[in-house]
Amino acid sequence: MDALFAQYILNWLVLGCIYTLIALGFSLLFGVLNVIHFSHGDVSMTAPFFALAFVQIVVAALATVLGTWSIYLGLAVGILLTGMLGIILDWLVIRRFRAAPAMMALVATVALGSVLRELIRALYPQGSNPKSFPSLASGSIELGGVTIPNFSVLVIFISVAMVAALFWMMSHSAIGIRIRAVAEDRDIARLMAISPDRIFAVTFFLASAVGAIGAIFFASHAGVVRFDFGVQLGLIGFSAAVIGGLGSMQGAILGSLLIAGIDSIVQITVPDGASYRLVFIFALVILTLVLKPSGILGKPVFEKV
Amino acid sequence: MHLNSSPNRVQFAGNAKLEMLIVVAVELLCAFLLGTFLLSDSTAIIVALLCLMGGVFALLQIRPQIEKSIVSAFANQRILALVLGFVVIVAYPFFMQGSSYAIHLLIISLLYAVLALALNFQLGSANIPNFATGASYGIGAYTSALLAINFGISFWLTLPAAALVATLFGFLLGFPSMRTKDSYLALVTIAFGIVVHQLLNNFSWTGGPNGLVGIPAPSLFGHSFIRPIEILGYKLPSQANFYYLTILLVIFSILFAKRLHESRVGLAWNALRADPLAAQCQGINVVWYKMLAFGVDAFLAAFAGTIYAFYVSYISPDNFTFLVSVTIMTMVIVGGMDNTLGVIVGAFLLTLLPEKLRIFSDYRLLFVGVVVILFLVLRPKGLFPQRIRNYGQRK
Repeated sequence: MDALFAQYILNWLVLGCIYTLIALGFSLLFGVLNVIHFSHGDVSMTAPFFALAFVQIVVAALATVLGTWSIYLGLAVGILLTGMLGIILDWLVIRRFRAAPAMMALVATVALGSVLRELIRALYPQGSNPKSFPSLASGSIELGGVTIPNFSVLVIFISVAMVAALFWMMSHSAIGIRIRAVAEDRDIARLMAISPDRIFAVTFFLASAVGAIGAIFFASHAGVVRFDFGVQLGLIGFSAAVIGGLGSMQGAILGSLLIAGIDSIVQITVPDGASYRLVFIFALVILTLVLKPSGILGKPVFEKV
Repeated sequence: MHLNSSPNRVQFAGNAKLEMLIVVAVELLCAFLLGTFLLSDSTAIIVALLCLMGGVFALLQIRPQIEKSIVSAFANQRILALVLGFVVIVAYPFFMQGSSYAIHLLIISLLYAVLALALNFQLGSANIPNFATGASYGIGAYTSALLAINFGISFWLTLPAAALVATLFGFLLGFPSMRTKDSYLALVTIAFGIVVHQLLNNFSWTGGPNGLVGIPAPSLFGHSFIRPIEILGYKLPSQANFYYLTILLVIFSILFAKRLHESRVGLAWNALRADPLAAQCQGINVVWYKMLAFGVDAFLAAFAGTIYAFYVSYISPDNFTFLVSVTIMTMVIVGGMDNTLGVIVGAFLLTLLPEKLRIFSDYRLLFVGVVVILFLVLRPKGLFPQRIRNYGQRK
């Protein structure tokens, strides 16, 4: 039972890490640009496809030189390309909605998400079918009678490292301080010789690249990837960011762990849990927002007249 | 009733004959173009019509006087416009060359027009996001279908029952809106929509993912709706029954919308849109009017759902997903918030585009997404922007 319990904890942590990587992007983008980038899940989900496509092109040419490393090179290229895609989409579409009402930007990014999905489906060979995605680490280690898959260790390790790096960056590095300055007040930041447009591009790159890592883990965890996986992953990531409190990075982590927690618990305890998991996840979302209308760690807004 | 009284009369007292000509020309031209679009199979014609439409909107954007003179012509010649419009609508199925597909497309577009009008009360009038209209639509459809299949209750009695159940759901949905707002409220409604969809998908008494089949066709005065209509030796496909039924619902919705817009409720919603805090200071019960907006949305959506269920006679959870709700939101925003005509045009556009773009087969959703983004970028206030309330001199 203890060993089983440890497995559940491990599963919870892996899911929590994946959701966190997606939710952080939503929080970052909302915090800096005040925009809900609803296609974030779909943008992130392009990364596994970039990686697969790259591997297939490169394997033919360089397999002898690179060997098994080609998959890791592919992942790196996928993450970079996804980051660039974030910048391009902002430049093409999202920046046109900076001054528009929030709901308009939301609907526009939903449409953008469907365009991205359809592009993957149309451009990737046999894009409608699920594609098998390799596991990033095979084998497992035994620790006190508990089998820990190397994959879980990898996911947790990299996610924690990413989050730590992101926090350090936001609080200590020059670029992080500039990002926070723009988030605080665009106009004053401009007076301080910070170009908001450049900061927006950096934010989009960061959010998309971090999301890309999450999506790659998700694909590897599931073993397959399909063009429309981004919808659900994006919705869950968005929910995690919102119930944690939009704009708060700690909140995004907390929200992700909460949602992953209910996800794991339901799958174990409720009969037929796999088909009811979304019901429980979104019931939790409703409950949280009824009790804490601006998220768990979000600051309540007091309107001044 | 003063037939000639109209707010715009003083400003644009134009030539009456010219105005009548404009009204007749605009209505007949629109009807003709829509008919051509519905009936045509040729890619060239469809693309040409879309280009024409784009051109017209570009022209309206560049020369606002054209739009103004058309609007004032319609305002001054209201009786003519209404009578001619009514005749065109009633006669429309006769010009569909017996094509049941064209009439089917019309019915679906009209149902979406009702849904978009329903959402418009919230999104357009009061600026409250709601991503659960699809769920209210589904609840209406499932309630009436279950009543009809399990208890043999007639269509006409399930209508109010479905509306009641959905309205209760609407108020339940509106409950969190007392405290949450903006993106947080949007997420609450998204969550409600997904929960409803998942429950419909999982319960055994709703048929699970297979849905409900064999919903009996309604009948009126002994005329079953699956039988074709025969008038004066002219035979209309059986879909025409549902066409007229849906038209009735659309007319009801438009009148409903108009009455609400002109009442204190509509004013209160507009005040909420402008500034909730200021509205509260004016003594408007913000919570109640927000909840009411959710209730009204669900009420109308349930009617559309009921007609849909009985028309198709088969429903499954996939008809009521989150993406359906998003499509309805898009219709309102693309068409023009708080503008009845705009919302209806938006609904027609977004229903017919994916259907008629089947020629692009695999690329049609891609194309629709691009068109939506282009519309939002190029005409950010919607195809028909919201009009300023006109309190002109009514005699």
